[in-house]
Amino acid sequence: MIKSLRQRWRRWVNRRIPRADEQTFTQNNIFILPSGAGVVFGALLVIMLLTGINYQNSLIYLLTFVLGAIFVAAMHQTHRNLACIQLALVSAGEAYPGSPIVFRLRASAKQQSFSVLLQSDPASPVRIDVGPDGPVELELTTTARRRGPVLLPDIRVETRFPFGLLTAWSWMRLRSPGLCYPKPVTPPYDAGGDDDGDTAPSKKAADPDHADIRPWRQGDLSQRVLWKRYARTGDMVIAEWEGEQGNPVWLDFDAFPGADRELRLSYLAALVEARSHTHQPYGLRLPGLKIDPDAGPVHRQQCLHALGTFGFEIPATRVDSGASGSAQYAGGAA
Amino acid sequence: MTEASSKSTIPSKALVWLLVSFGLLLIPQWDRLPPWLIAACSVLALWRWLGQSGRLSLPGRWLRLVIMLGLMGAYVATVHGRFTVETAASFFVLAVGLKWLETRTPRDFYVLFFILCYLAAVNFLFQQGVLWSVLNLAATFVLLVGLQVLNAPQAPNALKAGWKRLGGLLLKTLPLVVLLFIFFPRMAPLWSVPLVSGQAKTGLSDQMEPGSISSLAQSSERAFRVTFGGAMPPPRERYWRALILDRFDGGKWEQWQPDARQPAGRVLSDGGVGALKPNEYDILMEPTYQRWAFALDDSRAVSRNVEETANGLFRFRRPADTAVRYRLARTNPESNVQALSQLDRQRYLHLPPKGNPRARALAQSLRQEHDSDRRFVNAILQRFRNQAYFYTLRPPKMPDNSIDTLLFEVKRGFCAHYASATAFLLRAAGIPARIVMGYQGGSPGEDGRYLIVRQYDAHAWVEAWLPDRGWVRVDPTAAISPARIESGLREAVADEGSFLENEWVSPAKYGDIALVQWMSLKLDAINYQWQRWVVGYQGQTQMNLMSHLPGNLSLRDLGYLSAGLVGVAVLLAAAWSLWRQRSGQSADPVQRLFNDWLRLLRRQGMEPRPARTPLELAAQAAKADPERARMHLAFARAVNNHYYGSGSFTPEDRRRLRFLLRQLRR
Repeated sequence: MIKSLRQRWRRWVNRRIPRADEQTFTQNNIFILPSGAGVVFGALLVIMLLTGINYQNSLIYLLTFVLGAIFVAAMHQTHRNLACIQLALVSAGEAYPGSPIVFRLRASAKQQSFSVLLQSDPASPVRIDVGPDGPVELELTTTARRRGPVLLPDIRVETRFPFGLLTAWSWMRLRSPGLCYPKPVTPPYDAGGDDDGDTAPSKKAADPDHADIRPWRQGDLSQRVLWKRYARTGDMVIAEWEGEQGNPVWLDFDAFPGADRELRLSYLAALVEARSHTHQPYGLRLPGLKIDPDAGPVHRQQCLHALGTFGFEIPATRVDSGASGSAQYAGGAA
Repeated sequence: MTEASSKSTIPSKALVWLLVSFGLLLIPQWDRLPPWLIAACSVLALWRWLGQSGRLSLPGRWLRLVIMLGLMGAYVATVHGRFTVETAASFFVLAVGLKWLETRTPRDFYVLFFILCYLAAVNFLFQQGVLWSVLNLAATFVLLVGLQVLNAPQAPNALKAGWKRLGGLLLKTLPLVVLLFIFFPRMAPLWSVPLVSGQAKTGLSDQMEPGSISSLAQSSERAFRVTFGGAMPPPRERYWRALILDRFDGGKWEQWQPDARQPAGRVLSDGGVGALKPNEYDILMEPTYQRWAFALDDSRAVSRNVEETANGLFRFRRPADTAVRYRLARTNPESNVQALSQLDRQRYLHLPPKGNPRARALAQSLRQEHDSDRRFVNAILQRFRNQAYFYTLRPPKMPDNSIDTLLFEVKRGFCAHYASATAFLLRAAGIPARIVMGYQGGSPGEDGRYLIVRQYDAHAWVEAWLPDRGWVRVDPTAAISPARIESGLREAVADEGSFLENEWVSPAKYGDIALVQWMSLKLDAINYQWQRWVVGYQGQTQMNLMSHLPGNLSLRDLGYLSAGLVGVAVLLAAAWSLWRQRSGQSADPVQRLFNDWLRLLRRQGMEPRPARTPLELAAQAAKADPERARMHLAFARAVNNHYYGSGSFTPEDRRRLRFLLRQLRR
């Protein structure tokens, strides 16, 4: 019974607060109720009123009315403490299963707000003060156990300022997910090793006719430079043969026949980590996606991102820190 | 409290205000609480504070238990099992004191906050003067500031901002508080608990021994204040009757039939308002914890909280354990006198069979000289006037045959002595007589608008029964010391220097210093109005006031009205914040225009992506609405120009933005 009520309430809230990466708290999405202390305070006011009635004491009436009126006015104050805040997602993080996925948010407000508590995970609330003198950045984390896009659980934004007798709260439901990479599993054999194993049939028949030629880039292995051509023309070019399985540079989804999809992606993730650990360049080949060989942290992240999102529909908009230049305008948009 | 904050500690910045408030709230209780309790509470609070700064560790569970049991034991020993509001109040204070050692988390802070709020309410039961009220309210405000600091300890200038915010809240809510105060129905008490444990209180008692009034004469505490509808009567007519003592046992006078002890309950403290008729007067009496009311001769009750007894005295239905206001009217003395019944005659003539032989002899000899009762009375007064009798606050002790000693040996006494002797002589001569206790005189308050009667105005005099005139007032003191009646005790004992000799801080003692006089009168006037209009605003006054309003509101109507008031206040607050949110969303006019543009785009079915620059948005809009693409673009450019352009943004530009927006809206 209570559970179904609760679900109904959540559904209603979710309709009211659509998923968005930006949110301004307004009349329409702020809820306010007395806190535990506020309920006790209300009871205290009733007892005081009874005392005033029983002892016909006008001053106790007066005190009760003063405190009661402040209670009512505090409702307004507490509401306002939240009402002026805008929250925007700065970046959604990516991480391995079990590691915290960090969502960075920016809070700004046109008037001063104190002690606003943000929590998506009740165990680790973040307390911020934000005012007109500048936005505040904060980080919320979540962890995931399975590969794929990870939505941050609904962020409860609440404040009890100034007296702690009332709780004003709202939710922010981020639209953009973070990402959980596949859990790295070291493959039983290194499909991208230097020697060509029998499971990776070599097509290393140096047949330039079947090769794509492209200019040399930083990080290309010297073995792959067509030195003959270099001697002839002076251009340093690389041959990329079709179906380069078994090439140490390429990490290939198809290199693990027999393993299921998730396991393959886990193997690949482990290989990406291994390669970037030793600063070797590598490329990634997934069905329908090819990432050219490269090295460095950005490349690593790109590859892991591809592994993490493989097979999932990812919403087109991804806010990243590059788009934050227009935050000022974005303010009114939510 | 969230998980995180309930585990955390209380910041010192907040704790100190809790302690300050506790200190302030103890002050109004200082004369009511046992000294050991105040000392214990102070030590415990100080301990908590030292514990906060780490200079002293807070006691562990066992030590706390020992302290608790020890103080509880002391408390139980002091209250002797009486249960009244007063003992409950001191238990309350004890509980707060013990709580200090357990105040660790914000939750405990709230517990103390609630208890201290209630302590402020309890204080109002005992102290209702305007200064005490200000102190109590100030202590409550300190608590509220402390709560704000607790909720945002990291905020800069938390204290100053807290006071400012609280001040704003109080100002905003003032109309609601005033209206509620006026209209909230003053219901009758739901049940009653005695207020005090019948402790000694300065004031009249229902027995008179020689010397019992002269101790009162050392107190400048206020007894009551009177406002007259007409002119204030001259001093010699200001005899405030309260008690009749008609039984003499040779040593002390007391009541033949003591007032039946009523079960303690609530006295109706409210005498109503409205213009006073010329013969009416309005008395605001300090608590006496007795049922008697003070009245001039030949009065009748006007307000319903007093009733007249057979002897022309006035009584409340319950002991006055709080300040009480009541109204009386002076009437013409009754012309047809009814004869005294046989029983009454015996009672008023009764004397102990033995004692004071010389006084009895004097009465006999005077009786033979003057056959008329009236002339006999005059002869006694004549004797006091002509012989060397003195009015003094320092009479010698007269243990045996006190009346003989007074009349024939020491000839020095206070009003009680002379009244006692006079009544004795009258009874010895066969004239029915009784002692009346009350107050005589009083000094005018600020601008002479009302009369202040203090404890040192306490007085005793005699009433004698004359066959043709009934009970007649006979005041021997007036014969001995006319100054006491005409100008008050200060003048009467001026030579002696005994006026308020033990009261060092009373302003009344320094009444001859103009500034002190002025200030104390001013303060008294403020307090009087406070008492009449705020403290005394109860059922009768409220009903009187409401009868001036149209609609003839009943208590029930007032209840609805109050509920409506609160509702309207909440709605107003909501409407106001909505309006603020709508209109004052941003102080930046261009931002507002930009927001309007965004709203427009949304209305036209576009979903402006968040975090887009104006130009991106314009491109998006152009796609959706190609006809007006240029206008959108122009608008976006102008906004960009405002924020990022090097040139100044003139009002002309703003007007152009507004114009573009209007065009787009079409």
